[in-house]
Amino acid sequence: MAGTVRAARHRGRAGAAFAAGLALGAAAIFVALGALGALVSGRAVVVGAVALGVVAVASDALGLRVRPQIRFQVPEPWRRTMPLPRALFLYGLLLGTGLTTYVPATAAWALPALSLALGDVKASLAIAVGFAAGRALPVLFLSETAIAERPRGLRLLRVLAAASLLAALVAGRVEAAGTVASPGGDPSAAGADLAWQHPGVGGFLRRDDTTTQLPGNDPAIGATFVAWHAGADLTVADRATLTPVVQESVPGLQKLAVSRSWLAYRTANEIHVRPVTETGPGTTVEKVKAPATLGRPALGVDLVVFHRATAAGSWITAVNVVSGKRLRLRHSSDAQLLNPSLLDGRLLYVRASRCSQQLVLGPLRGGRDRVLYELGPLAGQDAGHERHHTSQGEHLPCPHRPRITAKMLWTTALSPTAAYVTVLRPGSRGRTVPTLLAVSRG
Amino acid sequence: MLSEHVAGATSRRGFLARTGRLLLGLASGGYVVGAIKAQQAEAFHFCGHIYTTGSCPHPTGLPRIDANGFPLRAADGEPVDDLGRPVDKLGRPVDARGKLLRDPDGNPLPPAPRTRLCAKTGREFGFRGQVDGAWYRCCNGHIRKLVDCCGYTKYRINGDYALTGYCYSGRHVFCVMYYDTKIAC
Repeated sequence: MAGTVRAARHRGRAGAAFAAGLALGAAAIFVALGALGALVSGRAVVVGAVALGVVAVASDALGLRVRPQIRFQVPEPWRRTMPLPRALFLYGLLLGTGLTTYVPATAAWALPALSLALGDVKASLAIAVGFAAGRALPVLFLSETAIAERPRGLRLLRVLAAASLLAALVAGRVEAAGTVASPGGDPSAAGADLAWQHPGVGGFLRRDDTTTQLPGNDPAIGATFVAWHAGADLTVADRATLTPVVQESVPGLQKLAVSRSWLAYRTANEIHVRPVTETGPGTTVEKVKAPATLGRPALGVDLVVFHRATAAGSWITAVNVVSGKRLRLRHSSDAQLLNPSLLDGRLLYVRASRCSQQLVLGPLRGGRDRVLYELGPLAGQDAGHERHHTSQGEHLPCPHRPRITAKMLWTTALSPTAAYVTVLRPGSRGRTVPTLLAVSRG
Repeated sequence: MLSEHVAGATSRRGFLARTGRLLLGLASGGYVVGAIKAQQAEAFHFCGHIYTTGSCPHPTGLPRIDANGFPLRAADGEPVDDLGRPVDKLGRPVDARGKLLRDPDGNPLPPAPRTRLCAKTGREFGFRGQVDGAWYRCCNGHIRKLVDCCGYTKYRINGDYALTGYCYSGRHVFCVMYYDTKIAC
């Protein structure tokens, strides 16, 4: 191929046609895989893609034989029967799909799998550009002998491919659960804006890549508003200018949520909702007696959602603020369902069960939930049988030995591109320290 | 008399008699120890259980319960919730030192479900679990109450046919649990 391009009278045009074909072919195949991944990608696909990536990194780093190889070659007669730029464009188109001719590095096989696992068209397009560049540059700028006749050149290429793939896998892992703030927790998201609480310091708002400390605690954002409180003093302000819209005193105020039309707040045992620009206690939508607890409220258009946790069970409930109608969105009598948030008909919440803790995203009214992030369970298990007794008849709670953690998944927030979750780490004397993580919605 | 005793004790016959008794003692002692070990290591997975029905599924493994049927951690008798976490009397999670776990605002973390073991088992396996009868054994120096979890079920947790055990009114034993009393034995 390098010979064909170099033999062209107008090398620049020929090279551009070849590169354009490569880019188009790669974009078509990887974008299609990304779109397909958006429909089918799940935990199994991601695990499979990462496993394939690790194998590819090892294979290229160790210089193992590249397998499998496709023996299908581009049609040779094209370069004799067509104008050369057109033939090179078509050659590029075929090579760009990755489905023709030999591949010099195993990393090439990991890329389609990663694209499928990502399930993201933009990210797949980026992979396509990288793939096309990787195929075009040696042809356009290296001599054939540099790769074909000097093993060191090919070896270097494969090591570079392994390093790039490894960096992508590590970056993907970091992106999968990146730390936003530590200590920091109780996130609230609206569009690209994010607010959170730094314990003992106050609320923070990140807007247009600028982080501002707010003059209060437990910030909540929604529509054009930001709300915070300093003790019992509640403020609802314009998010762009931080100019107060409503200020009043609400005794016992703990947590807030705000939307275009509504303000919801939680006291120790109650959740209230009222129109955002009015004052007063509003409507009490839920009330519990200790030790039962209510979670932080979250608002949709006219829905307020929250969890109720008791020793008898765990509920995620939505209340239509206009009609007063209540919906039981999720319930469990053996797992703990915590701190929901919602956006565009999707519900994000924490599910802590005997054998794992999961950050789960699913349709608001139930259906197929998807696990975005997972931690081990909060407790271990014994042998299932007493010392000097056999294991006959024992029943262990988890099918495999659990990787216990003391970290707890806690409050959540949902944006169009990311899910946010607070992870609590136990400190001294029963206190917990929060860390705010961002997880890709996939 | 004394001379006879001394003669017997020092004679060849007396020596053989003593050696024989010693060997017999060692052999029988080994047999007894072996018998005890065999009993302990028989096909029963916890002390006092003498049939083959399996444990009720428990948050931490061994099916130890309190007097009301709620799960306790077998190792130390601490109450645990359905997630296996140690909890206080109100069902709120506590740390290893028994201190109430709190969120960053200082509020107690929410309780997780804590369910009677037999009722939870019944719910999980599709029958109404209830405790009918029990039997008692001495285990680790204390009286242990061994409890059958009963239900109108033909099969037990092992997957084969259930036995009647200490269940009444046509109910059968689905699985077993135990409650360690504080009564010494």
